[in-house]
Amino acid sequence: MASAANANMNAVRETMDVLLEISRLLNTGLDMESLSICVRLCEQGINPEALSSVIKELRKASDSLKTSENCTN
Amino acid sequence: SSSITELLGALCDCSLSGVSWKRRALGGLSREGVRRALKKRAYGALLSKLFQDGTSKGSASGPCTTATTPPRNKVLMISFDLRVAGCQEEAERLEEQLGRLPEGASSGLKEVDAVLELLVQLAGSATPPPTSF
Repeated sequence: MASAANANMNAVRETMDVLLEISRLLNTGLDMESLSICVRLCEQGINPEALSSVIKELRKASDSLKTSENCTN
Repeated sequence: SSSITELLGALCDCSLSGVSWKRRALGGLSREGVRRALKKRAYGALLSKLFQDGTSKGSASGPCTTATTPPRNKVLMISFDLRVAGCQEEAERLEEQLGRLPEGASSGLKEVDAVLELLVQLAGSATPPPTSF
């Protein structure tokens, strides 16, 4: 039982490594932490296109925050 | 396993990394307030897209080709574009990684193709790294 769980953990880790490398090559801007969250959201049934809109929206918001920060500096 | 609400909150937190809060607190802008506003925008984007999906299903013109293309094929199409643009090395590395990506249950994930679709949707969306002189 424990070895089956270990095998699954290894499979997940390897898949995540490959997904992170594909993500880097596609220049998606996702780091391992955000990618892990996205994987879990997809596993919960969130539509990937809808999720990509969410990520783009959050980027716009955080970019405008950072830009306003630079302007005040 | 976390709920969708918790995961979206975590995604908002990730996008706030690197923002300085000391200066913002002086301007009356709290981290919690910004986090709330971000979550509102995230839910807005999520729900508007879901409603669009609902309406497009009933269109008379039928599903568009890219919507029915498997995500692995979309990655191969991006790889082809990279080759055309002269980025042979990146294209080969991308195809190599795609070949290493296990399918179905052997990946340990339930929705590996959905994740790949997300990566395709986000392809090229990151700001390019600053050029060094």
